[in-house]
Amino acid sequence: MGEVEVQALREINIVILKGDFVAIMGSSGSGKSTMINLVGCLDLPTRGTIYLDNKDISKLNESELAQIRGRKIGFIFQQFNLIQNLTALGNVTLPLEFQEYSPEEARQIAMRLLTAVGLGERMYHLPMQLSGGQQQRVAIARALSNNPDVILADEPTGNLDSKAGSDVINLLEDLWKKNGKTVIVVTHDAQLAQRARRMIQLKDGQIVGKA
Amino acid sequence: MRLQKCFELALNILIHSKLRSWLTIIGIVIGVGAIVSIVSIGEGAQASVQERLGGLGADIITVSPGFQRASNGGFRVLGGGGGRGAAGGDGERSATPAKSAKNITQKDLQVIRPIANVLFINGIVSGKAKMTSLAKTASVSIQGVDTFAWKNIVNTELETGRYLNPGDVNVIVIGNRIAKSVFKQQLVLNWMVTIKDKPFKIVGILKQSGAVEEDNAIFMSITAARQILDKENDNFDSITIKVSNPDYVDKIINETDTKLMLSRHVTDKTKDFTVTSPKAIQERIVEATQTFTLFLGAIAAVSLIVGAVGIANTMFTAVLEKTKEIGIMKAIGAKNIDIMLIFLFNSGLVGLVGGLLGVIAGSAISLALPNLLSGFSVPGGKIITVLPPYLLISALALSLLIGMIAGVIPAYRASKLKPVDALRYE
Repeated sequence: MGEVEVQALREINIVILKGDFVAIMGSSGSGKSTMINLVGCLDLPTRGTIYLDNKDISKLNESELAQIRGRKIGFIFQQFNLIQNLTALGNVTLPLEFQEYSPEEARQIAMRLLTAVGLGERMYHLPMQLSGGQQQRVAIARALSNNPDVILADEPTGNLDSKAGSDVINLLEDLWKKNGKTVIVVTHDAQLAQRARRMIQLKDGQIVGKA
Repeated sequence: MRLQKCFELALNILIHSKLRSWLTIIGIVIGVGAIVSIVSIGEGAQASVQERLGGLGADIITVSPGFQRASNGGFRVLGGGGGRGAAGGDGERSATPAKSAKNITQKDLQVIRPIANVLFINGIVSGKAKMTSLAKTASVSIQGVDTFAWKNIVNTELETGRYLNPGDVNVIVIGNRIAKSVFKQQLVLNWMVTIKDKPFKIVGILKQSGAVEEDNAIFMSITAARQILDKENDNFDSITIKVSNPDYVDKIINETDTKLMLSRHVTDKTKDFTVTSPKAIQERIVEATQTFTLFLGAIAAVSLIVGAVGIANTMFTAVLEKTKEIGIMKAIGAKNIDIMLIFLFNSGLVGLVGGLLGVIAGSAISLALPNLLSGFSVPGGKIITVLPPYLLISALALSLLIGMIAGVIPAYRASKLKPVDALRYE
């Protein structure tokens, strides 16, 4: 967009193992979101390489990236990012249907996931009929629908009150502990960061601390 | 399966963007409605021409005095063969008005008679005269015919009574409209009427024919007609020829034309008669109607193009408005082609819904029009409209196609959005 080239990330060298729970922290503009977008195949690095499952994803075309996003990665956003005109159930079945699941199969999976996140009673509600915490749980169910290996969460508790926030944190912890998912969270929330197994501190696009 | 999902999502967008979609749809409704109603009027006009002239018979040729010359592209009242024969001539053509033209004579009749495949020749005199029935008088058109030839040439069946026979005097056969609508008291068989102070008995009433001329005419022997109309012996106002097979019509028109030009000592430039057939006239009128319909349809098509631009505009707005959702869908695994299909289906649906409503509106107009305009009469009768199935189906297909074409660029743009940029869009 701008005329000035900004280096959002530089000299980053990091390995995240399967089954890890990593929190990425840093002030705004430190490059956290860029990092998670790169890992999530939403963006491509201008230089450097990113390996996902031992595969260099930094040179893939848009269609291949879409496939990886659809099958291996589940996203959770700060703004929930649900499709407003679809019900909770419709939102959760959507990723499955983009992956050629039959409508019935997708429905079964989505209903099971929505029940698991405690929204069994609200499957046919539109996002605007749900509270922020409920919307984020729909988003988590959606992120899990394709049974991805990696869950990427960008400020998942940023728009929630503390009660709803801690519900979401518990859900994410369960995914890591009980389901063996790799969870990468970008957050300002110290409570959330403490629950992670590792913490990475970013500043001005560089790693300034690991814990 | 994925196609179905993309279609569902497209439908979802359409349903949830009510006002904007409907405004766009109205543009298509107007365009399609206009095309459907105009074409149905045009088809109706053609059908009515065919119906009215079809009754005259495909195996009939008429010879009449006068020759109208027209430039190319205009409405031509040239004789079929004669016109074509003369078409190679130069451009300086003047009109020989029928009034100043020499009459058709007995000699012309003799020239035509030996032509191969000519079955009957009927020399006709015609004109207007006053007819009185029960002290009411009306001006009617009289046709004096060769009773024997006419009986064999006339295409219209009898409703009641008989045709004219050789030797008949003071009897008439009347057209259906004369019998039914001219006088308050309907005319019936064996009724006596007076025409120009001479009594005549009605011996036959024709069925309603396609041809107005026949429905409105009174037929009598040529001798009687000459007296009533004060026409000279040996002269005719026209000649009707029946040929043995409709396929020979064009050939015999040519031959008649050539022979008459020789015998009347005229050239292409000084030609003073016309040989034509109902078939040729019909073809020419249908052609003119088609041109006219095409012209009006083209005007209607302009509004459809405007509608298409409206769809394209709406789709650009929709893509802009849905940028974030496009980003979300890409983040959860939608490929470029999925996004493209969603927006293509969406614009196709806008076109299709507009087309469907347009077809309904156009059909309604076309069905209502004959009743609305029943008071007005167009040359040759009432307005009728025809709604052929092909018109409805092709209007629908066209609107779907237009919708999709209008959506191609916006859909392509949507599909090419970078997910990270799209997600950031507020």
